[in-house]
Amino acid sequence: MTTVLNLKGVCKRFGGVVVSDNIDLEIRSGEILGLIGPNGAGKTSLFNLISGVVPADAGTIVLGDRTLTGLPLYARARLGVARTWQHMRLFGSLSVLDNMMIAPSHYPGESLWRLITAGPSVKRAEAATRERAHKILARMKLDALANANVNDITFGQQKLVGLARALMSEGPLLLLDEPMAGVEGMAYETMRDIVREEAAAGRAVCVVEHNVSFIRDLCNSAVFMAQGRILERGDVTTLLESKTLAELYFGQ
Amino acid sequence: MEYVASLLVLVGLYVILASSFNLIIGFGGLISIAHPIFFALGAYTVGVLSTQFGLHPVLSVAAGFGISMAFSFMLSLPSLRISGDYLLITSIGFQLGLLEIIKNLDFVGGASGLGGIPNVVQGNRNLVFAGIALGVAFVVVLAIRALVRGPYGRAIQAMRDDELAFLALGRNAMNIKIAIFALGSGVAGIAGGLYAYYYQYVTPDQFQILQSAMILTMVVVGGMGSVLGPVVGAVLLLLLPEAITFLNLPSGIMGPLQGVIFTSLVILFLFLRPQGLVASAKGSAAHGGQS
Amino acid sequence: MLDFQTLMQIFWTGLANSSYAVLLAAAFALVLKVVKVWNFAQAGMMGIAYYTMYAAIQKFGLPGSVALLLGALAAIAAALAMEVFGLQTFRRRHSPPLTFFIFTLVLSELVQYLLAMIAGTEPVSLAATLMSTSHIVGGVVISEWDLKAIGTTVVLMGLLYLVMHRSRQGQFMIAAADNPHLSRLYGINVRRVYAVTFVIAAILIAVGMYLFGTRASMVPNTPLEMMLFAVIAALLGGMGNVFGAAIAAVFLGLLRAFSILVIPSAWQSLILYALLFITILFFPQGVRIKRRARKPATAAAPAAGV
Repeated sequence: MTTVLNLKGVCKRFGGVVVSDNIDLEIRSGEILGLIGPNGAGKTSLFNLISGVVPADAGTIVLGDRTLTGLPLYARARLGVARTWQHMRLFGSLSVLDNMMIAPSHYPGESLWRLITAGPSVKRAEAATRERAHKILARMKLDALANANVNDITFGQQKLVGLARALMSEGPLLLLDEPMAGVEGMAYETMRDIVREEAAAGRAVCVVEHNVSFIRDLCNSAVFMAQGRILERGDVTTLLESKTLAELYFGQ
Repeated sequence: MEYVASLLVLVGLYVILASSFNLIIGFGGLISIAHPIFFALGAYTVGVLSTQFGLHPVLSVAAGFGISMAFSFMLSLPSLRISGDYLLITSIGFQLGLLEIIKNLDFVGGASGLGGIPNVVQGNRNLVFAGIALGVAFVVVLAIRALVRGPYGRAIQAMRDDELAFLALGRNAMNIKIAIFALGSGVAGIAGGLYAYYYQYVTPDQFQILQSAMILTMVVVGGMGSVLGPVVGAVLLLLLPEAITFLNLPSGIMGPLQGVIFTSLVILFLFLRPQGLVASAKGSAAHGGQS
Repeated sequence: MLDFQTLMQIFWTGLANSSYAVLLAAAFALVLKVVKVWNFAQAGMMGIAYYTMYAAIQKFGLPGSVALLLGALAAIAAALAMEVFGLQTFRRRHSPPLTFFIFTLVLSELVQYLLAMIAGTEPVSLAATLMSTSHIVGGVVISEWDLKAIGTTVVLMGLLYLVMHRSRQGQFMIAAADNPHLSRLYGINVRRVYAVTFVIAAILIAVGMYLFGTRASMVPNTPLEMMLFAVIAALLGGMGNVFGAAIAAVFLGLLRAFSILVIPSAWQSLILYALLFITILFFPQGVRIKRRARKPATAAAPAAGV
């Protein structure tokens, strides 16, 4: 299993608060890594550091053989860092399908120059992307909603669309920020199955979740964070039975 | 008839100006009041090229487009690098500053302006220019319509909805903003070029803050973020002064009165109907997916 | 002749001329800090204050102090009307920043056109004569106006400091500036705080315009350019730093005064715009002299979250 993401000595502080304290982390392809820990542990901050929403104060972040440190947000996304958000961040005035059409990294239709000079290639890219989007939506059994506005579908469906949009990126890394929160029934199972499929296909997945049973259900390994530091790492079952977890989670 | 034709020229020019400004502020969400300066740059480029070098009119206007576009980078690159908010401040400075420079530059005529632009049209000037202005306006509106209905428009919409998510999907939002700003400014330059050839005389006073107010009013009243809004706004706001001229007020009052009417209209619409007369097709899945 | 006396003269006159700029910059920076809005309507407020005082002095023959009071009242009325009927409405509707920009800017333009219609575009001044008695100290001409202007400014800025840091309202203002939501939760009437802020700004503007008008004359569109000066000073001083803006205004005023030595007068007004660009390019967060821990103003710091 190859290492997809490698963090070494990543540090970040906001004002006086250390949100990441010398983080070393490796995520391999095929892994579904769960990030657990109490509130304020620095889990979402870590996602923000990896995806590039905020720059790290120190340390290196490497994706495959490319160094991400120092690159802006959109550049990292183009190199293959795909993520979902705690608050979804879907494009509210667009339809489900259009939300997905924004997602592929290299899209000729969005360069003014190419629009004017290479019309046919833009049309081809549109068609190809639309096909891919439909395929992904079909996997999630959302194809019927393709033209609905994202504000008109249920919460669970919106979360699936968020995941679908992230899947349009063909990159090796998938960061999911509380994907299951508030999701149940069919949507929950669909999401879990798709994440497992993606990992099986070789993606490295990292999931932030509060709900321990989600982690148990979804992930194959886990990392426990508190106060900006990684305290323990290992196999999901062993970690969840560890004493440290019980102390910190319930003792706090 | 002549009067109507000359009015139509103005309609054409202002439809171009309002539509291009709407592209920047209504679709792109970029707040800038410097549109008149790009109008001015196009006019002055044509003025200089036609009087000093006798360049062919189409080439001169094209050069106006290019120069306005190039100058737009001077404004957008430093400001957008920081944040969109700063663009407004720098645009005020840019607009006023460049006008000051023009007023002090001799080779563009300084404060008294640049005259003697050659007549490039045979036959009935007013009718021909009306045709050209309206024709170009038509093309511009169609082009903008095609642009916002396609993948580019979709990208702009997504960027306006949630720029962070947009960036996280690999999109370079800043490039899009700079491109929109450049395109809008360049088109304003074209209008400037046409203006110069029609009136054959260009002075800095024609491009002052009153112009900003007029164009802003046309866009706000007509409807920001809709393709037809600026057209409606331009037509309406050009007919208005014509209506007041019949009141026969002294010219010292006419100018400011126009200004009062325009600004009052903007404020009225901001309160009562912020979406303008022609609401945009937002919220409905009217883009890409259903073509 | 670049001798010491000339330099001192330029310095002194430049300093005196920055006095009203300091007040105007402080007013703009204060509103920006507390109400968090780029108050482009300030130019309108400046025009209203000025022409009210002009009417009081030149048309009704009222003494200066009464005129000043009337001017302040007019500015206060205008500011409060804008805040209560305009800004509050847009805040309630959660209007985008674009609306606030357009509204405040267009208000200034409306005022400018109204004043042009009512008062014409001939330059008008507040003083019967622009000459005031002067003394010569060490070879430098010091006029009564200079002393009055600098003195008034220092006193007003001192009062402002006291109000902001020693009075209850001032502390509410600072709290609301830092965190309006939290302030509301603590029982601070944020709307009243905003109103008070505008009242203070209006007073500063009225005094500033009075000082300006007793030394120079202006036309309806002068305030727009003067306001740009205040904007640059506010930017240079750092968003949210009222006294930083004041210092920046002095610095800019002196810069403009000394620039005569190097730049022909025709290009003088360009300095302002060049400075604006330089400020935006190199000092978007203002010039940081002290190394106090500040919250990053526009840094990409979304909810740090978990």
